[in-house]
Amino acid sequence: MEALILNHAIYSKPSFRADFFFGPPLLHCSFKPTFYPGNSGFQGSYLKRSLSFTVTCRVKTPQGNKKNDGNIAKKIILSEEVPPPLVEEGGGENESQEVAGKTGKMNGVMGLVKRFPRKVLAVLSNLPLAIGEMFAVAALMALGTAIDQGEAPEFYFQKYPEDNPVLGFFTWRWVLTLGFDHMFSSPIFLGTLVLLGASLIACTYTTQIPIVKVAKRWKFLQSSEAILKQEFSDTLPRASIQDLGVVLMGAGYEVFLKGPSLYAFKGLAGRFAPIGVHLAMLLIMAGGTLSAAGSFRGSVTVPQGLNFVVGDVLGPTGFLSNPTEAFNTEVHVNRFYMDYYDSGEVSQFHTDLSLYDLDGKEVLRKTISVNDPLRYGGITIYQTDWSFSALQILKDNEGPFNLAVAPLKINGDKKLFGTFLPVGDVNSPNVKGISMLARDLQSIVLYDQEGKFAGVRRPNSKLPIDIDGTKIVIVDAIGSSGLELKTDPGVPIVYAGFGALMLTTCISYLSHSQIWALQDGTAVVIGGKTNRAKAEFPDEMDRLLNQIPEIVESSTSK
Amino acid sequence: MIFSTLEHILTHISFSIVSIVITIHLITLLVDEIVGLYDSSEKGMIATFFCITGLLVTRWIYLGHLPLSNLYESLIFLSWSFFIIHLVPYFKKQKNLFNLNAITAPSAIFTQGFATSGLLTEMHQSAILVPALQSHWLMMHVSMMVLGYAALLCGSLLSVALLVITFRKLIRIFSKSNNFVNDPLSFGEIQYVSERNNVLQTTSFLSSRNYYRSQLIQQLDLWSYRIIGLGFIFLTIGILSGAVWANEAWGSYWNWDPKETWAFITWTIFAIYLHTRTNFKSVNSAIVASMGFLIIWICYFGVNLLGIGLHSYGSFTSISN
Repeated sequence: MEALILNHAIYSKPSFRADFFFGPPLLHCSFKPTFYPGNSGFQGSYLKRSLSFTVTCRVKTPQGNKKNDGNIAKKIILSEEVPPPLVEEGGGENESQEVAGKTGKMNGVMGLVKRFPRKVLAVLSNLPLAIGEMFAVAALMALGTAIDQGEAPEFYFQKYPEDNPVLGFFTWRWVLTLGFDHMFSSPIFLGTLVLLGASLIACTYTTQIPIVKVAKRWKFLQSSEAILKQEFSDTLPRASIQDLGVVLMGAGYEVFLKGPSLYAFKGLAGRFAPIGVHLAMLLIMAGGTLSAAGSFRGSVTVPQGLNFVVGDVLGPTGFLSNPTEAFNTEVHVNRFYMDYYDSGEVSQFHTDLSLYDLDGKEVLRKTISVNDPLRYGGITIYQTDWSFSALQILKDNEGPFNLAVAPLKINGDKKLFGTFLPVGDVNSPNVKGISMLARDLQSIVLYDQEGKFAGVRRPNSKLPIDIDGTKIVIVDAIGSSGLELKTDPGVPIVYAGFGALMLTTCISYLSHSQIWALQDGTAVVIGGKTNRAKAEFPDEMDRLLNQIPEIVESSTSK
Repeated sequence: MIFSTLEHILTHISFSIVSIVITIHLITLLVDEIVGLYDSSEKGMIATFFCITGLLVTRWIYLGHLPLSNLYESLIFLSWSFFIIHLVPYFKKQKNLFNLNAITAPSAIFTQGFATSGLLTEMHQSAILVPALQSHWLMMHVSMMVLGYAALLCGSLLSVALLVITFRKLIRIFSKSNNFVNDPLSFGEIQYVSERNNVLQTTSFLSSRNYYRSQLIQQLDLWSYRIIGLGFIFLTIGILSGAVWANEAWGSYWNWDPKETWAFITWTIFAIYLHTRTNFKSVNSAIVASMGFLIIWICYFGVNLLGIGLHSYGSFTSISN
């Protein structure tokens, strides 16, 4: 009898979750006094509704508080009359976790060798632990952006002084001993990441792979009680299960029909994709580790017309870094030039590079720019920076002279370069001369000996400028190209991980919907649940069930 | 020239409609729900949507690249994404989704208002693209990131609403806005229930209120989960395409640049949210989502305010130079 009420109660109230009522303690209190005393006066569906609260909560609490084994036992007793699927009805990863934990304990008798890894697995695959690790990683990263990275110790002595600690305790000692001055390579951060990776592996192994097995077992439900216990359930009075099957097929479900019972599902990929997400994360982590351990990096500023050997620039970053043949390649900077907008701002940097092998043969020639690097034999050459190398001038039609140009430090990130052409007696203690300043290779600003503005000239205009009797022609501005070189064996793995992660994240959004139905006389009992689109699911089901034709002559056939 | 005039006109139209819509919303919130007014505000929203679309398209044609190169443009795009999310229920004719409007409409309006108001006027001129931004990845990366932010902000706002309702910080205004959020389905059920129990009117009123509220909480919970899930996809694609782009432009796919790091923090927080969904109470995951709400703002705005790192072209400081 009790079972009957239980069914009706749940039936009258589809898609209700106990969590909402027993989540916040406030709500919990507000419910009890309202329902229990009022019960006697209530009739019809309302009574059932109120009852259902108590029932659902009893069924569902084991999911909510996942601590004691006693609850599981209770649950199994509850499901005795129902075939096995109800045990899995709990469904959540949590449950299988608990089971894994339990089996771990039971197998403990088998000896330390076997027990230890299992225990570690059980601990690592604990979801709250994994969440804690993610929070820790997030917090460390946030701290890493809050503290200036990679400065000299003196900087931290000043910024986090001992006599005036931040928040009352945070001094430079914390920063330096914990390695927070280089957070993203500090042992604490990397350790947390490794722990997170271990949790990922453990969780995939102990929780997610069993889900696949469980999902495969979830087939036909034989009793209408079990069906009506689903998150969504309904009973169609005069209908045939075949019609339901056809309608579900039309809606894209895989339908299995066996005698009076039906099982249909859609979006199974959505249930398995999270495993793919975890594996992709592991792939990215592995690739990242390989990148960190097996790369070479280096940067060089090369004036136009000069060359360098790749191997001289590249330095190893980790113990796995192995130089290759291609390191003997010589790179020649044929030309460095910039494109400008009409407003005078730089629009793009270009460097024309030639690569020569050991025999001096040109193997590759390419003009690189920002966003368009050169790749050769595992080496990538990026255009990252530029500088002013020299200014070629004619002084009173003599020359050309090459004046070395030096960068001047100014505030902000705009560059400024300057050079100086001495005029008159070079050996006197205070030499005077002409100063030339430039922001880019486009135009040179000239100042006379008193420091007064004299004029602006473009490098290839051939237009002479006369400053205090000295005639100067600016022939050319020679830039130097700032190149960054690297080899990174981890990139293919990381990219594979990226691709897999994007794909599996998208697939994870698919909702895995399952529908069970049972022909019960002339009526069809339908129950279903879904794991993502819980809000849309009842609507979709209502829409589908409306399409099922009602059998009119059913009363005669019965 | 014609483009900038057109842009000017569209900006002003959208701004004036937005101010009108805000007024209407205030009236409906404070005075009473007038159906006619509410409808006109919805029409206003659609009109604004087309204005912003026009604005983006003009800028796109005018500049030759998708207008996403600075904070102003990305804000416009953010409000455009809010409008998209807002308008989806109209196209899908899905009644259940209508309770989203209470979240998306103000978000869209305030973003649009902020972007077009005087705060950022210096930024309105379309800036030129610095060399690093001249890539096809710009479109993919920034649009995905902003779409992701928009969806995640909506979803986490729903969670914030859930927390507010759960913890009963119900001032009168809020109980009014609950009606505003009300979805027709559950309301019908309440009426049905109260009809049957008119004997015990007071009790039934109380309990139906509770019943209705828990329905609302459940709806909020499910929708925030769904929308955050969508935003998470966009965020993932955005971060990964950004990483691929960085490997083309900066020399490494991950540089621990502040913006990058914060995007990763956001990603982590919402990954936590998705994990808490499996077997924690809805309140717990709502708390995580609310944290995510703050973190998105830090990531989107805070890092730009400081103007540090490789992503500094979207910052406030770059305009002063």
